[in-house]
Amino acid sequence: MRWSARATVHVLAILGALLATSPPALGQTIPPPPTAWVTDSADLLSPQTADGLNDELRSYERRTGHQILVYIAPTTGGVPIEDWAVSAFARWKVGRKGLDDGLVLFIFPRDHTVRIEVGYGLEPKVPDARAAEILRNTIEPGLRAGEADRAVTAGVAQIIVLAGNPPGARAEPSGDEAAPAPLSPIDLIAIGILLLIALAVAARSPWLALYLLVNIVGGRGGGVSGGGGFSGGGGRSGGGGASGRW
Amino acid sequence: MENGAPSQARPFVTAGAAVLGVFVLIVVIGIGSVAGIYNRLVTLDQAVQSQWAQVENVYQRRADLIPNLVATVKGAASFEKSTYVAVAEARAKVGQVNVSGVTVPNDPTTFQKYAAAQDGLTSALSRLIAVSENYPDLKATQNFSDLQAQLEGAENRIAVERMRYNEAAQAFNATRDSFPTVIVASFFGTHFAEKAYFQSQPGAQTPPKVGF
Repeated sequence: MRWSARATVHVLAILGALLATSPPALGQTIPPPPTAWVTDSADLLSPQTADGLNDELRSYERRTGHQILVYIAPTTGGVPIEDWAVSAFARWKVGRKGLDDGLVLFIFPRDHTVRIEVGYGLEPKVPDARAAEILRNTIEPGLRAGEADRAVTAGVAQIIVLAGNPPGARAEPSGDEAAPAPLSPIDLIAIGILLLIALAVAARSPWLALYLLVNIVGGRGGGVSGGGGFSGGGGRSGGGGASGRW
Repeated sequence: MENGAPSQARPFVTAGAAVLGVFVLIVVIGIGSVAGIYNRLVTLDQAVQSQWAQVENVYQRRADLIPNLVATVKGAASFEKSTYVAVAEARAKVGQVNVSGVTVPNDPTTFQKYAAAQDGLTSALSRLIAVSENYPDLKATQNFSDLQAQLEGAENRIAVERMRYNEAAQAFNATRDSFPTVIVASFFGTHFAEKAYFQSQPGAQTPPKVGF
């Protein structure tokens, strides 16, 4: 029984993953998940600033659990920054699983575009109007003036204030097992339905049982590769945040 | 055989039991497969419904901004009246689409009406924002720039949720229209009707229709 419940969760996860996949054309332009809090392949920031910000965001995540990333690349390759950001956010699984409390500051110097993409879980803390204000009043003017280090550092500091910076707050352990996604009634119904299917199938129809088994094994493989890197396991954002140009 | 019939044999009874057994097996497997197909459709249908709820959510989010937006631009000296009147009218049109009692994704007529009304509001709003460029005093106010950011956020959310809705609808339709699922789906009439799609991105220019 326990195994079946687990299996159904996997099947659900596969369904979810299928539904969440980005369109193929765009999917190919999104790079693999970053390996640090600050990624700057456009050399916009000085190495000292990038390292300093990286340390700050690492310790911020340790303290609060919120995963805030800075991602700087030369260009989106002609894709609108909003589409690029929401696809990357989903692909990288930013934020904790079930909480989706991630945020990414995207900067594309060659396109002169910038965006703050906010995960569902941080939307109440980082409303669009405040995100836009940070871009408009701090980050864009700084970038325009050629002071990228100052602009990004100050912008990130303001984002951290918005996202909440309780002194000495303890994050829950961010391990995969430690933070199971809370199940909504719809999930429970779906699990119940799938459980019934699983039982019916196992009892009556070996071919379907085999098919399910293959899916489960496939899901396991996918889960391992997805969770092995830097990804937090979240990744759901609904286009919240703000974009700007400079 | 399975009930240990004596070997001196009652062949008819044995054959009859075998046929019955096979028949029962076929029926049971048949029911099992239909149930499996049905439940898969239910799961995909649920995904479409919940994604549809997200679409309605983000449209509502935008609609909630409009009273404040209209009040703000009204307050600006000599703001072009026709633009905010058009927004108010477009919003009223959205309210007139009767979505109560119908499962909108299953009902192409209502779906298209709803989408057309929302697209009308999208273009009325983008016109208002374009016109506001001519009012630097208005644009400089905190209230207006907040509203503009919220509106942009709402429009972006709408684009994202519409895209995800189309993906969920596509996943459902692909399964529903495959064989043999399509036969099972047709047993249930409109309950598993094909889901309607959003045609184009909101705000995207639709090419003018040429009439003959």
